[in-house]
Amino acid sequence: MSVQNLEISRSSASGLFSSGNATGLRTLPTVSKYIDTSTCIGCKACEVACQEWNDLKVVPTSQTGTYQTMPTLDPSFWNLIRFDEHEVEGGLMWLMRKDQCMHCAEPGCLEACPAPGAIVQYANGIVDVNPEQCIGCGYCATGCPFDVPKFHATTGKMAKCTLCVDRVSVGLEPACIKACPTGCLHFGTKDDMVALGNHRVEQLRANGFPNAALYDPKGVSGTTVVTVLAHGDHPEWYGGLPRDPHVPIGMKFWKNVVRPLGFVAIVGAVVGAFGHYLNFGKKEVKGAADSESNLPQA
Amino acid sequence: MSAAPTRDRAMDEAVIVARDRENVVVGNEIIRHRLSSRVIHWCVAVTFFACLLTGLPIWTPAFAWMAPLFGGLQVCRWLHPWAGIAFSLASLVMLVAWFSEMELRPDEKNWIGPRLFTYMRYQGDDAEIGKYNGGQKIFFFTSALAALGLLVSGVVLWFPLRFPELVRELAVLLHDVTFILFAVTIVFHIYLGTAAEPGTFGSMTRGTVTRAWARLHHPRWFKEVTGLKK
Repeated sequence: MSVQNLEISRSSASGLFSSGNATGLRTLPTVSKYIDTSTCIGCKACEVACQEWNDLKVVPTSQTGTYQTMPTLDPSFWNLIRFDEHEVEGGLMWLMRKDQCMHCAEPGCLEACPAPGAIVQYANGIVDVNPEQCIGCGYCATGCPFDVPKFHATTGKMAKCTLCVDRVSVGLEPACIKACPTGCLHFGTKDDMVALGNHRVEQLRANGFPNAALYDPKGVSGTTVVTVLAHGDHPEWYGGLPRDPHVPIGMKFWKNVVRPLGFVAIVGAVVGAFGHYLNFGKKEVKGAADSESNLPQA
Repeated sequence: MSAAPTRDRAMDEAVIVARDRENVVVGNEIIRHRLSSRVIHWCVAVTFFACLLTGLPIWTPAFAWMAPLFGGLQVCRWLHPWAGIAFSLASLVMLVAWFSEMELRPDEKNWIGPRLFTYMRYQGDDAEIGKYNGGQKIFFFTSALAALGLLVSGVVLWFPLRFPELVRELAVLLHDVTFILFAVTIVFHIYLGTAAEPGTFGSMTRGTVTRAWARLHHPRWFKEVTGLKK
């Protein structure tokens, strides 16, 4: 059951071949989560807040030599601070980035999903999963350029950051943003958060970080989550953030070209067979010897 | 025939002989497929339809109405790969069992091309057609290839997270394209085996065909089986 007071702009597998099913009744202001990696101290209050708000159970993990809680996101761990050490001339950089679903404007997960209504995009930009519809096929993981979708070990259902849609729908900010002690997380409309980000990027550029940038990749038509990177020319230093994320071309080609053509081909074959029968009739013996024939004897 | 037990008049001679022999004449009929052949064929056909009916609702939302046939889309997602394994095994058995009868003669190579269209127009000289015509032989091998392609790509789709992103993308495309081409050939296989050529469906159920059917569709096989020159 999707959150009813939010408008749906797109629903997985709900058109003839692809996504659709917009309700088109109301307009909602877009939301945006602003992350400033340059002021993040890696305290993980946001991780705890996410676990608490969403009643997610504790997940066993292993020590991999960093402060990072988990090696990767998990169906029960939707918000992960990534810790990456990067050596540069004259020193060491310890980069921390809050990793979670980016809530893309053009969500690859939603485009790839074959289960009607399993993934929905609300008009405010939030991309959410309806686990009752999810069939656990994993196509969303192939469609996501950020490697976000994770699957429950036994039920197979996909789970990820919901951008606290249940809080946002009643006018609260997401739990992670509420918990952040340094003010590196903010929540507001996309325009406001982009303006905030651009302002911060200018500050960084004026203060020793000439390549600072706001990460809002156009390859997915922009993301709800915008991230300030002090080293904006190397997003991959921040826990493998992709340089040019986009919905994989194979998935787009499959959904928009191969599948419709295939549908036409198969229906065409059936129509063709019928047409063949109308035009040529049966291939059978005319004459007395064929007991199957019910044609009149010549 | 010396080992044949005495039978009641009500028993169907041809069907009983067809339990273990084929390419023989019994009365007015010729046995075309013995029991084991028919069982293999129907195992492949039934598992194919199990895959088709569980896979189509996943393939496109236009067929979402079929998902309740099996209890919902989640059941389809669970059942489809197992049906695929069953289909692959059945196809493998068929490939091994019928391989020797499906060898393409050099003069049959033109069935990949103009000869097929001539045949579909009910024209052309069929005198050299043996038990299986060139089109049937080619269908046999393309089906085997399709089953292999579906199996390999299907395993990746079954356990997607164990494979890298690029392999997953390719598997989605391979599974799709293979299915589409296979489905188109199956439409014609079913059409030709039922409506277009009366008497053919019985060859795969009862196992027999009439002499006239054999003379029309497979003249060389007819001559070999009956020993007649015409």
